[in-house]
Amino acid sequence: MKPTKDQLLWMYSAMAKARYYEDTMAAVYMEGKSPKFDIGAGPVPGEMHLCAGQEPCAAGVCVHLRPEDTVTATHRPHHQAIAKGVDLKKMTAEIFGKKTGLAGGRGGHMHLLDPKVNFACSGIVAEGAGPAVGAALAAKMRGTKAVAVSYVGEGAANQGAFHEALNLAALWKLPVLFVVEDNAWAISVPKSKSTAVADNSVRAAAYGIPGVHIADNDTLAIFAAAGEAIDRARAGGGPTLMEIETYRYYGHFQGDPEVYRPAGEVAALKAKDPIERLRKEMIANGGVSAAEADAALAAAHKEVDEAFAFARQSPYPAPAEALEHVFA
Amino acid sequence: MPSKSNRILTMSHAIAEGIANEMRTDSSVFVMGEDIAAYGGIFGATTGLLAEFGEQRIRDTPISETAFIGAGVGAAMAGMRPIVELMFVDFFGVCMDAIYNLAAKNIYFSGGNCKVPLVIMTATGGGYSDAGQHSQTLHATFAHMPGLKVAVPSNAYDAKGLMISAIRDDSPVLYMFHKGLQGLAWMASPEKAATEVPDDAYAIPLGEAKVARPGKDATIVTLSMMVHRSMEAAEQLAKDGIDVEVVDLRTLVPLDRATVFKSVAKTGRLIVVDEDYSSFGVTAEIITSVVERDPTVLKAKPRRLAFPDIPIPYSRPMEQFALPNAEKITEAVRETVKKGH
Amino acid sequence: MSEIAVPEGLWDTSKTPEGIVGNWFYRDGSMVEAGAKVAELMVEKTVFDITAPAAGELHILVPKDGVVRPGTLIGRIDGA
Repeated sequence: MKPTKDQLLWMYSAMAKARYYEDTMAAVYMEGKSPKFDIGAGPVPGEMHLCAGQEPCAAGVCVHLRPEDTVTATHRPHHQAIAKGVDLKKMTAEIFGKKTGLAGGRGGHMHLLDPKVNFACSGIVAEGAGPAVGAALAAKMRGTKAVAVSYVGEGAANQGAFHEALNLAALWKLPVLFVVEDNAWAISVPKSKSTAVADNSVRAAAYGIPGVHIADNDTLAIFAAAGEAIDRARAGGGPTLMEIETYRYYGHFQGDPEVYRPAGEVAALKAKDPIERLRKEMIANGGVSAAEADAALAAAHKEVDEAFAFARQSPYPAPAEALEHVFA
Repeated sequence: MPSKSNRILTMSHAIAEGIANEMRTDSSVFVMGEDIAAYGGIFGATTGLLAEFGEQRIRDTPISETAFIGAGVGAAMAGMRPIVELMFVDFFGVCMDAIYNLAAKNIYFSGGNCKVPLVIMTATGGGYSDAGQHSQTLHATFAHMPGLKVAVPSNAYDAKGLMISAIRDDSPVLYMFHKGLQGLAWMASPEKAATEVPDDAYAIPLGEAKVARPGKDATIVTLSMMVHRSMEAAEQLAKDGIDVEVVDLRTLVPLDRATVFKSVAKTGRLIVVDEDYSSFGVTAEIITSVVERDPTVLKAKPRRLAFPDIPIPYSRPMEQFALPNAEKITEAVRETVKKGH
Repeated sequence: MSEIAVPEGLWDTSKTPEGIVGNWFYRDGSMVEAGAKVAELMVEKTVFDITAPAAGELHILVPKDGVVRPGTLIGRIDGA
C-alpha cells in the first residue's frame, strides 16, 4: 500500500507539527524552573513527557482514521492528539491549566480528552487498552465501520490490562489495532531487562491474531501495515497487534537526568530523523515539490505558535471551579 | 537507644539507609520494583542500594504490578522479607487484588500458620500539579482493609525507624511516603522534613503516634505532609497566644487512639487535618474514635480539614484552592477556640 | 581553615551557567569529618556531591536554594 500525494503531505504536516510542538513545549516547560528545577513551578507545572522522534507512530496510523474512529493514548500523547485532530488551541490551553482548555484545566497534559474526535489519554500504563476494546465493541454492536486504535509503550506490554484487552478483542473479533511504541526505555529500564521476548508482535500468536513488527521508525512501512490492519478491522476481520521500533529524543519526563542512556545515543538517532527521511522520500518519489513541503511546514509551525499564544493569553479558571464537573 | 549523629538526611536517603541497615544484617531482605535499581527509585527511596547490594537483591521489574506484588507475597510466605515498591500509590488500581485479597488476608486464611513479612512502599501526595492520577494520598483506602498495617512518616528520623520496624514485622505493611517530603532536589519540601538521623539501625514501633508539639488550647491530629502545615499554623497561632498541640499519627494501622484521646481530653478541642479526600476517611475515623469513647471531653464541635471530594485538578489555582494549608488550619483553630463554638 | 568551593569544570557552563545548593547535610556550626558528604548541588537535572576537604567546624556561606557557579565559595571548615 503506497500513500497518495495528499497522504504524504498530510503525514509530513502532522509530524512536523508534532515535532515543533514538542520542541516548543520543552522550552516553555523550563520557564520558571531555572536555576532551581522545581517541578511545581512555571507556566507548565507538573510532569511533561515529550515524544519527539516518535512522530511516525502517530502519522502513519492516524492518516487512515476518521473522526468517528477512537484513539486511546498514553502519558506521552501529543503526537497522537495532533494526528487525531484534537483542537490544538484547547489542548495547549489545557496543558497550561487555563480555563479555555479541553477540561478547563482539570486534566492537564496526561489527561487530554476530546470527545469530538474520540481521543483520550491517561497516565496509568496500559489503561487505554480496555477502553479501545470497548469503543470497538460499540462499533460492532451498532454495525458501524468505526475502528479503535490503542497506543501503549513497550513497557506496557508486560501489564495485565494489555494482555486481557488483547484476548478479549481477539475472542470477540473486534475492530481494534493495538500499537506498541517501542522507544526502548521504560523510564530507566531497557526492553531487554523487562520483556521475555525481543519483539512484542510475536505475542499476537498467543491471542490468535496477526502481529506486525516495524523496524527503524519507518513512516511508509507504518503507513502500509496500519492501512492493511485498519482495512481488515473495518471489514470485520478482527484485531491486529503492531509493534513499532521508534525512538524518543527527550528523557522519559522533562527533568529526567537520563543516567541510564548511553552517551551518543540521542545524537545517533537524530542523524536518521524520520521527518527528514519522509521529506526526502516524498520529494524524490511522491510527487511533492520542495515548495509544497515548505508551505506545509510553515503552516504547521504557524498553527503551533498560535496555539501557544492562545494558551498564554487565556485566563486561569476561578479556583472554586475545581468543585465543578465531578458528575454529569 | 540510637547513637547520636549530627548528620542531616533527607527523607529519601533515610528510607534507603533504613533498608540498607536491615539488608546488611539479614540476607532474606531484598527489594523489587520499577526503576528502583540504577535509577534509585523515582522518588529516591532506594538511592545507593544497587551499588552496595547488587542486582540479585535490588531488582528492577517490568511494569507488572499484579505479578511482582503477588510474587512479593509468595516470596514472603516462603521465608524471604521482600520490599516491593508501588511507584505511585495511585497505581494501586492495577494490582489491588494482590494487596487486599492476597497480601492482607493470607495470614488470616491460614489461621495464623503463615507469616507474610512483606513491605509495600509507595509514594503519595500532590501539590505540585501532577493531576488526578499522580497526586493522591489514599490513606483511607488502605487503612480500611483489615490485615494490612499502614505506616506514614512525616520526617526523615521517623521514616528510617518506621521502615526498619516495617521490615521486621511479620505482617504485611503498607509504607506510604509523601513525595513532597522526600527532599528531592526537583520538588520543594518543608525544611523540617530532613532531620538528623543516626546511622545505626533503630526501630520506631508501628502503632505509636507522637506529640510533635505539646499545647493546651486545641489539638490538631494529622499525618504526613499535613504535620508540617499544622506546625506552621501552630507557630503562627503561638504569636497570638493560642497554644496548639500537634499529634503526628505516624501509623494508621494500628491506630494510636489512646494518644489522640489523651490529647483531646486535655485540650477539649479537636481539628483533624488530612490531605486525602474528605468523606469516609481518616478525619471521620479520628473524630468518631473520640466521640464514641466520650463526647463530653469536647468543649467545641470537632472540625476537619481535608481534600474535597473531587478528582485532584491539574490547574494550579484549583489544586491550591482544594489543598489544606497552614492558613486554613490557622483559621480553623481560631474558630474553634472562640467561646461558644 | 579550609574552603568549600564549587569545583571548576564541574559542569558545562556554556549550556547552564548556574546551579543551586540542593541540600546541606549538616547544620551550620556542626563538626564534620574529612571526606563526609556535606552538601549536594543541583545543576538543572543533575546532582553533584560536595565533600568536606578537612575535619572541623562547618560554616555555611551559601544556604539551600542559593545560586552557585564554578568557583563559588559555599562554605568553610575551621580546623579542629
